[in-house]
Amino acid sequence: MVGSTLQAIQSFEYWPEIGEGTVDTLIMTALSLVFTVLIGLPIGVALFLTSWRQRSERPLVARIQGWVYKTLSLLVNVLRSLPFLILLILLIPATRWLVGTSLGVAGSIPPLVIAAAPFFARLVENLLREVDHGVFEACRALGATTRQTVLWALLPETLTGLLAAITVTAIALIGYSAMSGVIGGGGLGDLAVRYGYQRFNTPVMVTTVAILVVLVQVVQVLGDRLVARLSHRR
Amino acid sequence: MIEIRAVGKTYQTPTGPFQALRGVDLEISKGEIFGIIGRSGAGKSTLLRMINLLERPTTGRVRVEGTDVTDLDGEPLRRLRQRVGIIFQHFNLLNSKTVQENVRLPLRVAGELERSAQDRRVAEMLELVGLARHAAKYPSQLSGGERQRVGIARALANGPHILLCDEATSALDPQTTQSILQLLLEINHQLALTIVLITHGMDVIRAVADRVAILDHGTVVEAGKVVEVFLNPRTNVTRALLAESGVESEAAVTTDVRDGSQVLRLTYHGALTEQPLLTTLSRESGLDFAILQASVGRLKGVPYGRLTIKTSPLEQDGLQRLQQTLDAQGIRHEVLC
Repeated sequence: MVGSTLQAIQSFEYWPEIGEGTVDTLIMTALSLVFTVLIGLPIGVALFLTSWRQRSERPLVARIQGWVYKTLSLLVNVLRSLPFLILLILLIPATRWLVGTSLGVAGSIPPLVIAAAPFFARLVENLLREVDHGVFEACRALGATTRQTVLWALLPETLTGLLAAITVTAIALIGYSAMSGVIGGGGLGDLAVRYGYQRFNTPVMVTTVAILVVLVQVVQVLGDRLVARLSHRR
Repeated sequence: MIEIRAVGKTYQTPTGPFQALRGVDLEISKGEIFGIIGRSGAGKSTLLRMINLLERPTTGRVRVEGTDVTDLDGEPLRRLRQRVGIIFQHFNLLNSKTVQENVRLPLRVAGELERSAQDRRVAEMLELVGLARHAAKYPSQLSGGERQRVGIARALANGPHILLCDEATSALDPQTTQSILQLLLEINHQLALTIVLITHGMDVIRAVADRVAILDHGTVVEAGKVVEVFLNPRTNVTRALLAESGVESEAAVTTDVRDGSQVLRLTYHGALTEQPLLTTLSRESGLDFAILQASVGRLKGVPYGRLTIKTSPLEQDGLQRLQQTLDAQGIRHEVLC
């Protein structure tokens, strides 16, 4: 029984393709995660610094802050309200212009980043709002500039929260990257669509799903461990 | 050192403007510990924050070390804040940084010292507040009193001439409060630091302050030397604050004075406390005295006494003569009945 199962697994002819798909998914997720953080973090900080509680006492500056906040917030909301599949299709011309193709791993990254960065930015904004107001006041009282306050106090204070947010975003990206398979995005999602949906090949379908589950699980556990290690709060 | 002139602060709230401070005048001298006391909502926190401009006055001027700071902004404002230390009720430390990194933060902000000089300064500060052993710990591993010591070390790192204390001991237990107050007294001495503290507890004022201002509904109702204000409160707000902290725990004296005796309250402080007051008084006036209530003690090193006495029955002008004798000795007195 065990022997025949092993044999069946060994003779499963799709392993090379599944392996390739897994690697593609990992590359897509990792690269888009990097860009998502690089773009989403500054937007999140900007949202926080222009939000209502951080308004300057100078009316003109406060007004500019208000405009910046409204514009960024609207942009973030619009991008977040679009279903990812629609966003993917909408972005095809932009993606082609940006990376030369709308297909494969490269073609998947721009839409993934544009979908995930606003999401991550909101997470960052909320994290920064959660920082004790006293920390902010202490920095002001020390004569710190906004830049110093953000880099030396606020971001270190939210470090564990940021790591948790990055974990959540990474998992969302794994999910999204699977979806990009629908329009030929490569990776495990692509396999699942081509074999599972179009050719009714259930074993391939099940295998890809299992690998996705394991990936998500691994990312979550690693994220949690890192958070636990770096946490200095009671 | 610090001059606050006709300072007012009005907040716009959804229910209309709210005047947190109105026409406050204060002058705080170099090297003294100045206490500001009042109930919550009296405006003390706002007033304290005017000194480093965490709050900007709506009207009036604030001068710090001879410079008008009211309109400072940008870099000059940050420079001012680096010269004025502040500690908070809830410490406001960075939980993600070790004790020494917390103390280093103001040095990094000021950006004047090399890394190795920063290290020395941090070590020096931690030594001063008695936390040298805990340099590598995180705030969550410390007790409340230790965290406030970190706050003090951080506030003093840039060598300010002024330290502001915002209810610095209100979150601490009585014993820890005493040790923090003791530390404040020490650094006041050692560093010739001017300390301005706000509190709602009279015992804090009593333990450390040289002078005190009583704030009520945004105005200073009384100000002066702590001994003076404590022994001769002029307003009901002050009396109520004193009564709450048990300083003026004088139940109304009930005694029979139909025989022509008088009840007086005598207050005095300083050198007079070592004089044989009552016996001298008795000899000179030919009267006898019963002590109905008495308290003697010290207010930040100044000895004081407060006696409620009942005289033996008086002649016609006996009271007047007695009062003259008291005046001659410099004893403050008040006829109760």
